[in-house]
Amino acid sequence: MTEKFLFTAENKAKYAEYLTRYDDVESALLPVLHLAQEQNGWLSSAVVASISEMMNIPAIKIQQVISFYDMFYAHPMGKNIIQVCTNISCSMYGGRKLHGELLEHFQTENLQPTQDGQITIQKMECLGACEMAPCIRINNDYMGPITFESAVKKIKELS
Amino acid sequence: MTQDASSANYKDYTLLSYHHISDVHKLDIFSKAGGYETMKKCFAMGPETIKEEVKGSGLRGRGGAGFPTGVKWGFFSKDRTQKKYLVCNADESEPGTFKDRYLVEKCPHLLIEGMIISAWALGVDKGYIYIRGEFYHQAKILEEAIQEAYSAGYLGHNICGQDFKFDLYVHRGAGAYICGEETGLLSSLEGKKGQPKLKPPFPAIKGYRGYPTMINNVESLAAIPWIMRFGAPAYKKWGTEKSAGTKLFSISGDVKKPGVIEVPLGIPLREIIEDYCGGVKGGNLKAVIPGGSSAPILTAAESMLATMDYEDIAARGSMLGSGAIIVLNDTRSMGEVLKWTLEFYHHESCGQCTPCREGTGWLDKIFKRAENGHGQASDIDLLDKVAANMRGRTICALADAAAMPTQGMIKAFRGELLTFIEGQGQEERGRKR
Amino acid sequence: MSSEIIADKKLVKFKWNDQVIEAPEGENLLQAALDNGIEVAHYCYHKGLPIAGVCRMCMVEQTPGPPRPFPSCNAIVAPEIAVRSDTPAVLEAVEWTLQFHLVNHPLDCPVCDQAGECGLQDYYMQHGQYNSAMEDQKVHKKKVQDIGRGVMLDAERCILCTRCTRFTEYVTGTYELGIVGRGDHAEITVHKELENDYAGNLVDICPVGALTSKDFRFKQRVWFLEDVATTCIGCETGCAVNISQNEVGVYRVLPKYDHEVNGHWICDDGRSIYKHVSGAGRLIGPLENKSNLFIPITESATANSLRGNSQKFILSASLTNEDYANFFSAFKGEKDHVALYRLPSMGKEFDGILKRSDKNANTRGAREAFAKAGMDHSETGLQDFLDNLNAQDVIYLVVPEIIYDEDHFMTLLKKINKAGKKVALTTTDNLQALDAFDYLLPLPTFLEKDGHLKNFQNRDRKLSAGRSYGASNRDIAFYANWLN
Repeated sequence: MTEKFLFTAENKAKYAEYLTRYDDVESALLPVLHLAQEQNGWLSSAVVASISEMMNIPAIKIQQVISFYDMFYAHPMGKNIIQVCTNISCSMYGGRKLHGELLEHFQTENLQPTQDGQITIQKMECLGACEMAPCIRINNDYMGPITFESAVKKIKELS
Repeated sequence: MTQDASSANYKDYTLLSYHHISDVHKLDIFSKAGGYETMKKCFAMGPETIKEEVKGSGLRGRGGAGFPTGVKWGFFSKDRTQKKYLVCNADESEPGTFKDRYLVEKCPHLLIEGMIISAWALGVDKGYIYIRGEFYHQAKILEEAIQEAYSAGYLGHNICGQDFKFDLYVHRGAGAYICGEETGLLSSLEGKKGQPKLKPPFPAIKGYRGYPTMINNVESLAAIPWIMRFGAPAYKKWGTEKSAGTKLFSISGDVKKPGVIEVPLGIPLREIIEDYCGGVKGGNLKAVIPGGSSAPILTAAESMLATMDYEDIAARGSMLGSGAIIVLNDTRSMGEVLKWTLEFYHHESCGQCTPCREGTGWLDKIFKRAENGHGQASDIDLLDKVAANMRGRTICALADAAAMPTQGMIKAFRGELLTFIEGQGQEERGRKR
Repeated sequence: MSSEIIADKKLVKFKWNDQVIEAPEGENLLQAALDNGIEVAHYCYHKGLPIAGVCRMCMVEQTPGPPRPFPSCNAIVAPEIAVRSDTPAVLEAVEWTLQFHLVNHPLDCPVCDQAGECGLQDYYMQHGQYNSAMEDQKVHKKKVQDIGRGVMLDAERCILCTRCTRFTEYVTGTYELGIVGRGDHAEITVHKELENDYAGNLVDICPVGALTSKDFRFKQRVWFLEDVATTCIGCETGCAVNISQNEVGVYRVLPKYDHEVNGHWICDDGRSIYKHVSGAGRLIGPLENKSNLFIPITESATANSLRGNSQKFILSASLTNEDYANFFSAFKGEKDHVALYRLPSMGKEFDGILKRSDKNANTRGAREAFAKAGMDHSETGLQDFLDNLNAQDVIYLVVPEIIYDEDHFMTLLKKINKAGKKVALTTTDNLQALDAFDYLLPLPTFLEKDGHLKNFQNRDRKLSAGRSYGASNRDIAFYANWLN
């Protein structure tokens, strides 16, 4: 059973404001998807249907956009997202190793929520913070240089 | 060097002039230090005067392409009644690059000032800062700074009492390297997949939503206030003849002090590594990637001779690019580095055009043959051939960005790559027994 | 942004390889070459769709022009340019681009319907013929997907030319198809399923076997087929079609480009107009109804049974101009002994693309012929005709080849019941309703005769005879006066 997705009153106001920034409706799609994902945790088909109706954009176009970007998720995610950079500078300083160790420690696969639904770990490309290699993002926050131990500690502190 | 803690250092920096000042992300602090003064003066100058000055300064696009900004501005229609857009490329996804982040998170108003002056010069009334999705906090900092600018009457209608309006918005991306490509960015700004557009037509003629669009990198736009304050001849005092001014370099990897520096173009790479970054860490210098992962690698010997300007690095078969310097010591495996690079381009190809879509995937797979026990020496030649045949045939330069470092790595470290392949194969075969 | 020929642009001369070509200035460069019979390898370009420029096959070099090869689909004709598609740089670009296309393409040829008319096969023979260096695991995607409206999708075979997504965006505006993902994992997908009336065209425009017809699937190899250029009889639009057939039967209907009437497309209804032509029910001679079993009977025996009564005719509105003219020439009976049955209107008057509600292929031709012969072609005329039928009459009814509304036809049949003898002039016997008739006499199908139909624009649209699959040597003119 798919429930209909509706913005909260606060988010509805944000949605309306986003529309005023652009000269057409479609340009607002990325910020609207970010907003919907913040509220819903992921971009389900109910979310897609709702946004399609709100913005009069064909559902297939929204599906395409979601599938194109690394930060949009078309499947359920954990409460928190742990992004681990595996590009050159971070890999040199153990980023790939860290990614593998975190997956093993939390007993999960890449982009698969943990059993308790607390986190999803995602392999990422360069996050633009190479001076703090190896670097991760925990939700919206950058952390680095990070070690396996401190990463686990920080993750465990999450609500 | 003693520096007044609340006023800008225009003598040593054109971009980081305000960076030593606390809370300079706040408009009142920024203004007290000298910010927005140039903008106010620019309204008294005609748009053509400003464009001439920028052209005369020799400023080259700081995002990676290095195309002269003033010339690019020259392609733009002078019609001020026509709908046009100004877009700031803050996508910053070229591996090794973090200078734009460093600039805007501390000093967002410098970018805003640069954009207002540019909008005035170009006759544009709406602008967007397209910032990569991962820079959540930086986007917030920019949004708050923009609000402050509106409150101060520097954005919106009748800016500083002039018959000039300019609206500026922040637009967050969502995780795709290709959105750093000009027209990929514009597609993403339009709410679509970030797929680059066919050129011609070029964005200056037909860009965002089909309208003339000027798109410049953060650093390029942030350089405008200094150029307009002190003039083109002053700007040209720095740098070389063909690479005027100063540049932000992001240095990471095997250096003791990674980070962002602002130095004149033409500075020896050796000086950056040894003096600014405290020297090589964890071993001796082996190689340097001078301009982001798309730039062919330089050997240690080449690195010691290279000067960081567009021509010198190009003459060495590489590119200054975004100025992202990754330093590699002699414990590093070039095979591993190439592997990471190929994975990156495979992951990031937008998939639109065939040579890139299939080529980036194939390069990754060829180089992984060894990992799976099927590697052979001829793989290197195949890699080189496939890379060579991806170049110059695609809608955008991502294919070239994948091909050039591949060919560069083969040229500089063929022997090591061969050993890498053979070694991997042995491991795999050993495991199978 | 499709490249229709701009009629009022001035013609200029330019060179393509060593040939001098004339084309309108500003015309799409690739289209200009194709219009002049020059073969240029391409996948994503299609005259009826906006430019994509993604396949990178149509490369050329130009002087004066860019410093390296570029796709000719994104360029325009200018006077005095010299374009070359035969330089080493171009040939290498084409060969390698083809090679890239084949990197992940599955070698499904033995089981793929597209074989024989496949862009990859064709260009490989012309521009490829290389030793493949691809020894790696190919990317696998979802195969054998029934995506609705008779279309099968094999995402693995897809070369991501975007013709199909552009079609559902710009031609039908229904947005069913899209491409999800990035890089070599990008994949064609359908939102729910195809829901437009033009889905068959997707199969045509797909250069490879990614989109194939469920109806045609596995039925025949295309190199065993010949095409007959004719006109669709599905409605008054009169789209130009090519119908593929061989001695075994008829297999499919494809659109034929026609600038004046249907452009590049036909609707899905038109795809099935061939089914009765070579089906099992084709009449190969007259049939007599004996307790609802139809038994072959000779023509003369039939004629003998029908002689002596008043011969009345109800013609369909999908016969050719020539059929009507010849009929009225031969017919010697009373003026109120002939009426016209028109299939009822269905759907929107015009759907905005091609389909029209008048499902009769030749309403205008029929009415013109009736009027010329002084006959009443009106609906009221038909009703009067039916009211006047009696047991002394032999009624000949031309059974329409395609009946959309069986109820409407059944109503007509009820009304002719009071005739003494009922004869169906028909192409097939596999309509349940035909049990009402005493005799079935054969007519050729639209695909077995030459002639013309007047379409909605009053244009004469040509029918061409292909092979014969049944008794096709008797037209309605023959029956007009056959008993005398």
